[in-house]
Amino acid sequence: MANQVIELDDNGVETGKTGIESAMSYHELNAMINLWDKDGKMQLDKDKLAVRKYFLDHVNQNTVFFHSLKERLDYLVENEYYEKEILDQYRFEFIEELEKLAYSKKFRFDAFMGAYKFYTGYALKTFDGERYLERFEDRVVMVALALAEGKEDIAVSMVEEIISGRFQPATPTFLNCGKKQRGEFVSCFLLRIEDNMESISRAINSALQLSKRGGGVALNLSNVREYGAPIKKIEGQSSGIIPVMKLLEDSFSYANQLGARQGAGAVYLNAHHPDILRFLDTKRENADEKIRIKTLSIGIVVPDITMHLAKDNEDMYLFSPYDVEKVYGVPFGDISVTEKYQEMVDDPRIKKQKIKARTLFERIAELQFESGYPYIMYEDTVNKANPIQGRINMSNLCSEILQVNTPTTYNADLSYDQIGKDISCNLGSLNIAMAMDGPDFAKTIETSIRALTSVSDQSDIVSVRSISDGNHKSHAIGLGQMNLHGYLAREHIHYGSEEALDFTNIYFYTVVFNAIQASNKIAIERGASFANFENSTYASGEYFEKYVTQEWEPKTEKVKELFAKSGARIPTQADWKELKTSVMAHGIYNQNLQAVPPTGSISYINNSTSSIHPIASRIEIRKEGKLGRVYYPAPFLSEDTWDYYDDAYEVGPDKIIDTYAVATQHVDQGLSLTLFFKDTATTRDVNRAQINAWRKGIKTIYYIRIRQQALLGTEVDSCVSCML
Amino acid sequence: MNKIKLVSRPVNWNKIEDPIDMDVWNRLTSNFWLPEKVPISNDIQSWETLKPHEKTLTMHVFTGLTMLDTIQGTIGAAALLPDARTPHEEAVITNIAFMESVHAKSYSSVFSTLCSSADIDEAFRWSEDNPHLQKKAEIILGYYKGDDPLKRKVASTLLESFLFYSGFYLPMYWSSRAKLTNTADLIRLIIRDEAIHGYYIGYKYQLALAEESEARQAEMKSYTYDLLLELYDNEIKYTADLYDGMGLTEDVKKFLRYNGNKALMNLGYDPLFPKDECDVNPAILAALSPNADENHDFFSGSGSSYVIGKHESTTDDDWDF
Repeated sequence: MANQVIELDDNGVETGKTGIESAMSYHELNAMINLWDKDGKMQLDKDKLAVRKYFLDHVNQNTVFFHSLKERLDYLVENEYYEKEILDQYRFEFIEELEKLAYSKKFRFDAFMGAYKFYTGYALKTFDGERYLERFEDRVVMVALALAEGKEDIAVSMVEEIISGRFQPATPTFLNCGKKQRGEFVSCFLLRIEDNMESISRAINSALQLSKRGGGVALNLSNVREYGAPIKKIEGQSSGIIPVMKLLEDSFSYANQLGARQGAGAVYLNAHHPDILRFLDTKRENADEKIRIKTLSIGIVVPDITMHLAKDNEDMYLFSPYDVEKVYGVPFGDISVTEKYQEMVDDPRIKKQKIKARTLFERIAELQFESGYPYIMYEDTVNKANPIQGRINMSNLCSEILQVNTPTTYNADLSYDQIGKDISCNLGSLNIAMAMDGPDFAKTIETSIRALTSVSDQSDIVSVRSISDGNHKSHAIGLGQMNLHGYLAREHIHYGSEEALDFTNIYFYTVVFNAIQASNKIAIERGASFANFENSTYASGEYFEKYVTQEWEPKTEKVKELFAKSGARIPTQADWKELKTSVMAHGIYNQNLQAVPPTGSISYINNSTSSIHPIASRIEIRKEGKLGRVYYPAPFLSEDTWDYYDDAYEVGPDKIIDTYAVATQHVDQGLSLTLFFKDTATTRDVNRAQINAWRKGIKTIYYIRIRQQALLGTEVDSCVSCML
Repeated sequence: MNKIKLVSRPVNWNKIEDPIDMDVWNRLTSNFWLPEKVPISNDIQSWETLKPHEKTLTMHVFTGLTMLDTIQGTIGAAALLPDARTPHEEAVITNIAFMESVHAKSYSSVFSTLCSSADIDEAFRWSEDNPHLQKKAEIILGYYKGDDPLKRKVASTLLESFLFYSGFYLPMYWSSRAKLTNTADLIRLIIRDEAIHGYYIGYKYQLALAEESEARQAEMKSYTYDLLLELYDNEIKYTADLYDGMGLTEDVKKFLRYNGNKALMNLGYDPLFPKDECDVNPAILAALSPNADENHDFFSGSGSSYVIGKHESTTDDDWDF
């Protein structure tokens, strides 16, 4: 039954409501979890009441009612809400069974935030935006039907995995699947820009096209010639990268996905590009309006040599990309600055400037205080860990996608001369707690890999050929993880403790095995691997070295117990040897398999803590364009778990780095890592954390967040999140 | 008056007479911001969803706030300068004055982004014609221009900690209803500043008061409560003018009493309004939190969480790898 009345009482909420509470709106009830009650106790039950109230007062009253599933589907297809082709792949009786299965799971939103977010952001609405046409269960079924591509057994497993909360597709997939009027399923795009006007204008065009379809777009500016570089051999002509950033920023604010998501973009620049300081200054609080960059995110690519120069407190040279490309015949971004540094310093044909290496790091830290930017990508760490042939020179909007790319060249009439390879990646995350609780971990991962692969197979961004070509060749996907802190707290483990690191290590170790195995299985079924598999370290077997020569087992009793009671089996060395043989013989279908995104919206719907971060606050205050202020209690928060929920500022950067370091060794792409500091921190503390991260093999750093406490005497009375 | 001789003293920040001066200075400077930081234009879509009377109310509220910040920036803070106890206090007050002007300008940037100039002119005319708004300005200005430094401080604290809040209610209300959320970010930055201003001026008042005779202390106490009540009576009428159309007046009044108590607290006095008359709508109260622990979506707003960092160079030990 698609539209039975939902019984919120299953949430354990009392049905009898007191006079005041029934008069309060769900907004107010939700806000009460951020305030202590008169006896100084948390009011977590108020959030459950808010969910209930939200359904009674808002959702139920604004949902279109249908008498039967048949009537509902006919209506939605006829009125062009649902895509007919997707439903036509299945027998109607099957769809009916699948709906029944979904509703039989008695899914309930644990937090008001999750329900609110789902209905405002994801559920199908009438074209006037006034009424809902889907419940959560209906959305899950539609996503499963779209991703299973007609295979009934796979559709059933997908419903099982998603409705149980074990697997959650990323926003663009979960939002768009099955809808007739929709954006793309893919989350993230990465584009190269070469040092010519054709490439720059194509990049702006592509940014508009991709942004309109709902993706976040990152662009690499490292190849573009610097301010004052010659144009047609005339010196002092180029205006450098800032005007390109301005154009991109405006493009992103113009194009958004049917108003559902803001267009968003990032640009990356190599630390040794001569415009590097100007690039950073665009984020200054007092920057001139002409150069101020407000909504475009920025990231900096840091090679090892920069770290070594800073260690020795030396000058670092910045090299003109224009000259470098002339000398080496390849764009600046495609050479290793670490490798060629001395050579370029000594080459009189390359124009250069110098700055103090430590000054650069100080400047970065200052900017991070003011704006949270830039992201950092440790270029050499990333390339050393890259199993694929080629070079990684940039990351994406959330700094977790790390893939190789190649340049595109254009003819004089702006048509393609040679189409290079740009990057796209679709994501989805496991809820670690639910996955560990699940009956069959290997199946959870296999179903997730198949779902993500299906998104890649169904994606064809024809407006940006370098993206669609790249996708067809690589079938790259990014399986992520979330709710690590939630799981640890539930199991009474402190984030960053020995047991937590032990668990994280073995968990990711188990994930990578099952992910490669699933991709290998798909390769065998289809008789196809990703393009250029033969030149990867998967094909040579080198990739498996650490798994077939080392034993990976839990070190602590606690973690042994956790796995013993879980449906997750820890792979043995023998398992790895077998997998290695199979991969070398048959390949794997996906060029990239894992990437751990920051998981914003979907972790609320899924009732998870974000990514593998510690929580920002026990009661998180969330502000988003569409939502206003909403309060989100950490999952499983109770008197019992309170002490295990130290927030990220208490946990501090070192434990976060340690946690990410043990996970990173099992992840082929990146992990979005945010560092949290109290406002007593200085730029030096931020620099130290960056050095520590690099030493421990962290690939990228996402945002820096600073928490400022209210000055004594200016707090709001009885506010939970004001409490230290 | 303890400043009879006109000796010019250079401000020496290495010799701090009152550590609160330094604390507040550091806090204010690290909180420095400009309205350009907040992408108000992201609220244009949301603005268009407001009904005409809601738009008018919002504009009236903002002209009212602009007026108060104009007074505080150009006259109020400047009037406090001669009473400063330490040269550092003077420095802090000049910072306060400057930030008040930043606030006044911020409202203009909200206006210019969201409204047409005809509407803006109309709203400013309203502010000139509204008797209660004018009276509020008159009362405060009267004390600023008077010659009692303690009374100036009380008036200023009540302005910072109490009078602004009938206006602040609305953006907080919108933000709790998912409207104008970037504007709310900007207002929250202003609230963050005003909270510190009120606290600081109130603190300086308490220091000065402690040196007075008991009779004078008693006089000041009853003066403070009287002034608060006078302002409160006027404020209620002003609130009714603004919010009756939306049916929010009762709720705003609770909010006024809540902040009235806070203002008294800043001045070192006991609350006037009983607690159960101050049970502000929790959505508003929670939205107010000046702490920067909000976890916003970076792609759609700038939030109120970032501060200007303290610079400290790394040493060779830090780079030991």
